[in-house]
Amino acid sequence: MLLRHTPTEVSERRSLTINPAKTCQPIGAMYAALGIRDCLPHSHGSQGCCSYHRSTLTRHYKEPVMASTSSFTEGASVFGGQSNLLQSLETIFSVYKPRVVAVHTTCLSETIGDDIPQIIAKAKEEGKIPDGAFVIHANTPSYVGSHVTGFSTMVKSMVDYFAEPKAPTRAVVADAGAPRLNIIPGWVEPADMREIKRIATAMGIQALVFPDTSGITDAPFSGRAEMFPAGGVSVEALATMGDARATVALGPTASAAAASALELKCDVPHETMELPIGLSATDRFVDALRRRGGVQVPAALEEERGQLLDVMSDMHQYLYQKRVALFGDPDQLVALTEFLMDLDMDPVYIVTGTPTKKFEDRIRHALKDRADRAKFKQGATADMFLLHQWIKNESVDLLIGNTYGKYIARDEDVPFLRLGFPVLDRIGHVYFPTVGYRGALRLLEKMLDLFLDRQDRDAPEESFELVM
Amino acid sequence: MRKVAIYGKGGIGKSTTTQNTVAGLSEQGKKVMVVGCDPKADSTRLLLGGLAQKTVLDTLREEGEDVDLDDVCKPGFRGTLCVESGGPEPGVGCAGRGIITSVNLLEQLGAYQEDKNLDYVFYDVLGDVVCGGFAMPIREGKATEIYIVVSGEMMAMYAANNICKGIVKFAEAGGVRLGGLICNSRKVDNEAEMIGALADELGTQMIHFVPRDNDVQRAEINRKTVIEWKPEAPQADQYRHLARSIDENDMFVIPKPLKVDRLETLLLDYGLAA
Amino acid sequence: MTTKRTESEAQGDIKDALLRAYPPKVARKRAQQMQYHEPTDDLPAKPIKANTRTVPGIITQRGCTYAGCKGVVLGPTRDIVNITHGPIGCGFYSWLTRRNQTRPPTPEDANFMNYCFSTDMQEENIIFGGEKKLKEAIQEAYDLFKPKAIGVFSTCPVGLIGDDVHAVSREMEAKLGITIFGFSCEGYRGVSQSAGHHIANNQLFKHVVGLDDTPQTHPFAINLLGEYNIGGDAFVIEDLLQRCGIHLVATFSGNSSFDFFANSHTADLNAVMCHRSINYMADMMEKKFGIPWIKINFIGAEATAKSLRKIAQFFDSDLLEQQVEKVIAEEMPAVLEAQKRARRRLEGKTAMLFVGGSRAHHYQTLFKEMGMKIAAAGYEFAHRDDYEGRRVLDSIQVDADSRNIEELEVHPDPQRFKPRMADETKARLEREGLKFSEYEGMMPDMDPGALVIDDISHHEMERLIDRYRPDIFCAGIKEKYGIQKMGIPCKQLHSYDYGGPYAGFAGAIEFYEEIDRLVNCRFLKKLRAPWHEVGLASSGLAAEHQVGRVETEKGGSDSSDVDYAA
Repeated sequence: MLLRHTPTEVSERRSLTINPAKTCQPIGAMYAALGIRDCLPHSHGSQGCCSYHRSTLTRHYKEPVMASTSSFTEGASVFGGQSNLLQSLETIFSVYKPRVVAVHTTCLSETIGDDIPQIIAKAKEEGKIPDGAFVIHANTPSYVGSHVTGFSTMVKSMVDYFAEPKAPTRAVVADAGAPRLNIIPGWVEPADMREIKRIATAMGIQALVFPDTSGITDAPFSGRAEMFPAGGVSVEALATMGDARATVALGPTASAAAASALELKCDVPHETMELPIGLSATDRFVDALRRRGGVQVPAALEEERGQLLDVMSDMHQYLYQKRVALFGDPDQLVALTEFLMDLDMDPVYIVTGTPTKKFEDRIRHALKDRADRAKFKQGATADMFLLHQWIKNESVDLLIGNTYGKYIARDEDVPFLRLGFPVLDRIGHVYFPTVGYRGALRLLEKMLDLFLDRQDRDAPEESFELVM
Repeated sequence: MRKVAIYGKGGIGKSTTTQNTVAGLSEQGKKVMVVGCDPKADSTRLLLGGLAQKTVLDTLREEGEDVDLDDVCKPGFRGTLCVESGGPEPGVGCAGRGIITSVNLLEQLGAYQEDKNLDYVFYDVLGDVVCGGFAMPIREGKATEIYIVVSGEMMAMYAANNICKGIVKFAEAGGVRLGGLICNSRKVDNEAEMIGALADELGTQMIHFVPRDNDVQRAEINRKTVIEWKPEAPQADQYRHLARSIDENDMFVIPKPLKVDRLETLLLDYGLAA
Repeated sequence: MTTKRTESEAQGDIKDALLRAYPPKVARKRAQQMQYHEPTDDLPAKPIKANTRTVPGIITQRGCTYAGCKGVVLGPTRDIVNITHGPIGCGFYSWLTRRNQTRPPTPEDANFMNYCFSTDMQEENIIFGGEKKLKEAIQEAYDLFKPKAIGVFSTCPVGLIGDDVHAVSREMEAKLGITIFGFSCEGYRGVSQSAGHHIANNQLFKHVVGLDDTPQTHPFAINLLGEYNIGGDAFVIEDLLQRCGIHLVATFSGNSSFDFFANSHTADLNAVMCHRSINYMADMMEKKFGIPWIKINFIGAEATAKSLRKIAQFFDSDLLEQQVEKVIAEEMPAVLEAQKRARRRLEGKTAMLFVGGSRAHHYQTLFKEMGMKIAAAGYEFAHRDDYEGRRVLDSIQVDADSRNIEELEVHPDPQRFKPRMADETKARLEREGLKFSEYEGMMPDMDPGALVIDDISHHEMERLIDRYRPDIFCAGIKEKYGIQKMGIPCKQLHSYDYGGPYAGFAGAIEFYEEIDRLVNCRFLKKLRAPWHEVGLASSGLAAEHQVGRVETEKGGSDSSDVDYAA
């Protein structure tokens, strides 16, 4: 057994996290910053943080992930990291020449109390930041929140640094063609960001999607070195976010902070909703675009929706009442839970290491009448060890989560759907969306394959089916 | 709203001076909030009449993320609002990080929002600016004016000079300025002249000379500011004067810290040799 | 090298190309960390600078002290519960990501390697101190798992707030009666992973080595030091040693168990694989217990044969020598057959290796067996002795970053120190060519004129590839995909791209095939779509030159002409 020491009996733990269902803030800030065009994320801390984050993102995306570090030594930890950051900026702009450097802090620089805006101001004063280039920052102490918090904070930074007040004339001009909306996609794959843009375009909406890692963490094979692949949202585009009619924020944990900051700063109303994973959440997303943009839902999208319903109905018999355990990030989990409920499946165990009290309300809401039967938990000890113990007590038909779930899946012989971050052991997942009607179709296909492959594997010869 | 931070060497009488000054301001009808940034959490004791205030960090620790402003902000003398950041026991953890956390939380809770109609917020900060956390109140425009409590003792002046170095660092980015030195007398020879000269060299002013008076200690034993305990005491007038000077102050500078040898010359000229 | 430039032209050129974009101070510093190899019997006139701080802002391959300590050295031991004391990230990122394989003897034996244990420090633990939480976490780990030993690893903020992990460990050790030991391996402590290796060596040596005095009965008992069983390398070596009749007491630390370490001082020889990460242990065990050490290398068929022969030579036994020769004779025919195949397809191709603190040296032997040339190589976290040999040890200046790593003072153990051979025997073996306590470094094995770069940066790597277009580049996960985007295959030598094992004879064959697959990969010749080939006389010709042409057209993939004001 891979996890041979996990006892069935659940005992209370207060201080030891085992097999976490989360990681730390800075990696989220790094991923978000990759979604800005010509942006170099910069980790203000020890070298190891940057190395770990780059490695993990690279293993997930199978793409180069460029980021620099302040390379703290003991001296910097005692005297503060100002000189390290100043020197970093000088080196970065001489060598790598990004348009934007997105600095995020670490537990080290946060505990020392480095004041990043002060250091950035000093760098500017000393001429270390070229004209036309930008240095932005996000405070991402690793001992607060989780990787999703870091993502959220860096996205909010994009608002704080780049959003310009509504320009009346510009707004009129911009809105002349198609209605403008901001869409904050949350922590999703580049393929999801592409899908969100496709849906918006199909509806006749001019959408500013930020961050946008498409073209960056799914960049094509070019035959040449590219520090900054031709993707991401540009500084110029970010500057116009104040001109939009509204902001649609997908995933409250990852996207709400930026949306409300923009409303405060530029008076752009916002609507925060669950990630558009599955039928109902996608319906609400499409409807929000329709309302906020003042447009009609085109026939092509109606058709996609119809196809999804059609497949749901074809598959229903195989999915009905299947018990599912899920772990991962709050936004994905809530949306998935609702989708599983739409399919008449049975989400029984749900854990996220991301501490957010609202999670339990959101999950309860998604679970509706099944809320009392399911077990769900958030925070430090809501880890995969606990989830495994629950499964050992009463098994499930399907496990959904990131790669680390494969250890539970193999030990307990449970079908396993890889979803979320990180997926380290499969290639290609970043090219296929899970959001929207098409994303839902793909999820369904993967899920059904798991169930039926298992049925084919386990069926006695006499009941081995040709047609299913 | 004016945002004031009081710094100074440990044991110099910052908390006492701050609370008495705040009492003076509130007597003059000002709405003031005091944020104690000292792990000992004794920056608001006199204003609260000795009541123990539950600190922001203790509250966070016990209540988790769902903290209300009322949980950590208690009304004191004449409606002053009192907050204690709190922090770890000596020798453990990171007091500096504690200050960062509580100031951030106060912001999140809207403690400084316009609807609170504050005229002043005072940060009473522990000792020297020993690490980044203790600089929190003067970062990012959180406090915009600083007063340094000092006396004619060498170490106090040395600390004041050091604090000025910190101010210079943050003045460029955050816009914080030095409003003056408050001399809390230790009855050192030529004290007023010496601090006056120090202020000159720093490019600032000695905004007030607070004489030494046992009434301060008497009031403290009664867990009150002098102004509350014995409004008619001469020392109460001293604090009223200081409060008025601060209220009317319009001299805000980026200080010019002294080289150590210059500081020592100053001491020789006024103190030991004179 | 594929270019026809003379060596000196290329030298002037390439260094300039690598350094041009840096600010002057950075360029000066980096210049000291790169050189063309000039063989010399004397101490090098211009020593290479290594184990020095990475310039902030440089995109480096390096990681941190914690990674070297918890990730590299302690990670592969299956029955110690390793608790990371800090915020969740460090524990998460070092969870199963290094491919250390392990094989507990029975399904019941302890194996905690698939678990991640962390105190998951929250803000309140930073402010109020985390010792209480650590104590409780240790207790909970003990209650749940009853392990033999618990290791506690400090992360950056722990050092700042002053939690005393050693005091907590001592207290809990006394309370629970198992070995509990702490590691002050905060990420900021050294300039790279290397500092963490040293810290790990120290604590293993202090707390574990020598706990079990069960006497050794096997005549040929050795420890294998610095082999971490990535991709199963240690399994291959274990098998070889067993077939030769050599008894392996402990491996530090691939496929290892706490008990092996505890008894490791009874071995008669320490065979050192990765010099960088474990030479401290070899030195300390020699001083305290009298165990001599020799450098060996099981990467490459010839190196493997040589290493086995060295061990046999050490034990000075005909029986062992015969057995070793027998095993080599069994293995070599298949190796030579595979070599012949590989040479036909790879001879004369060039490789560059920038990885680790020993691997960039060890893997050169494999490439040479295929007739490939090493155009450039360097380490990520090595010290000067790994480049130039231990003869330069005395001339290495200790700087502040090394000084803050504890240097244990070790004396002969009054009871257990035991010379392993008579002085005359040792002298004779030395005369016969067996070198004790010696590592000659990577450079003597390199061709004159080959480029050596320490702590190569991303920028330098790009320029280097642009210039030389090597046939293969070996590095790590962070570098892999950037290199491949340039049309050059990249072989990861940390994780082996999830392949391997590459150790020993069978591993060599596996590696030849892997390099053939990468270098002669078909689709790398199809980077350009046919509709971009208009104007070329023959499409066959076009295919030959595609990769080169992409580069020429781009001309300045060097982005030094970016205009910020525009």
